[in-house]
Amino acid sequence: MTDEFESLDADLQKVIAEARRPVPVDADARTRLLRALRAEPVPSRQPTVLAWLSRPQHIELRPMVSAALAAGLVGIGILSGLAINRDGRLATEQRPAVAVGQPQLPDSLAANAVKFVIAAPQASAVSLVGDFNRWDPVATPMMSQGQGGLWTVVIPLRPGIHTYSFVVDGHFVSDPAAPIAPDDGFGHRNSVVYVRKPSL
Amino acid sequence: MSDAAFVQRVLNGDADAFTQLVDRYYERCSRFAVRMLGNRDDAEDALQATFLRAYRSLGKYQERDRFSAWLYRILVNQCRSLASRRSQRERVFVREEAALLNAADRRPGWTGEDEELVQRILAELDPLLREAFVLKYIEELSYEEMSATTGVGVSALKMRVKRACDRLRAGWEHIKND
Repeated sequence: MTDEFESLDADLQKVIAEARRPVPVDADARTRLLRALRAEPVPSRQPTVLAWLSRPQHIELRPMVSAALAAGLVGIGILSGLAINRDGRLATEQRPAVAVGQPQLPDSLAANAVKFVIAAPQASAVSLVGDFNRWDPVATPMMSQGQGGLWTVVIPLRPGIHTYSFVVDGHFVSDPAAPIAPDDGFGHRNSVVYVRKPSL
Repeated sequence: MSDAAFVQRVLNGDADAFTQLVDRYYERCSRFAVRMLGNRDDAEDALQATFLRAYRSLGKYQERDRFSAWLYRILVNQCRSLASRRSQRERVFVREEAALLNAADRRPGWTGEDEELVQRILAELDPLLREAFVLKYIEELSYEEMSATTGVGVSALKMRVKRACDRLRAGWEHIKND
């Protein structure tokens, strides 16, 4: 840092030295902030998605509700399997319209290798961040594949629930194809991927 | 006492422990917000929103990096939101300040000891360039820390800092030659 600063010309060093000086702090503003903080409930450790999912959940369904739910799930399975577009193609042949990230398990790799895909044709840099890389935007860059603007990366993940997001040209983008986790506290909703234990 | 220890005390019910964190970071965050937003009113709004948001989200802090980096990430986002919401006003501000620079405040013999003029020089930078420049040279973050704070890749940040320096240099030459 010092070397970089020293390498700048004298005029820029003057500007930087001046800009580094502390700005006067408004005591009233600080008082208003502390008053606003006191009006807030005291925060407490929030349970993570993983903790919630790993806790036994008691779900009680009456027989009629169970039957209706089962019929509905079967219906969804049939409809999603046979959905046909207006042009006659199966829905599964359709290319993603905007941005679709989809964790997949490629056969050629280990069972806990997860492939993340996002379509971002205009992007110049895309990376993957999540609890598995301490949300470091430089740790897991994604590679552009071909002409379609698809960016992919395959990473090994331990079995369990992982929260993640894409970083497209510096902007956090959640995965529309994945379940969404609660707000991360920065006004952004992350995505969730569940990695199964490898079958023996 | 470490930042993490203060966070733990807050999460154990000691709300006043957060005041220690406010005291520790308020001045530094205030400088960043003023340099980024160009005026103290907006900077105060950004600071209020940042510390309130950090307080409300403190329960999620353990998954993040150092507290200062986590707080900075919130601050950077708040400044971006404010700048974007008030972009029209900022454009007016910059235009008016540029007009002022063309008049009496442009002093060829300026030694650099003029906080207001520095603020005006920074305000003429594109916000993304200004953000990268301020984080690098005013807040003295490493490129890796900047990347973690902004979500922008290191190479892109280096390019932004270089462009910011080029433009500041050109702006400075313009001031000196007027």
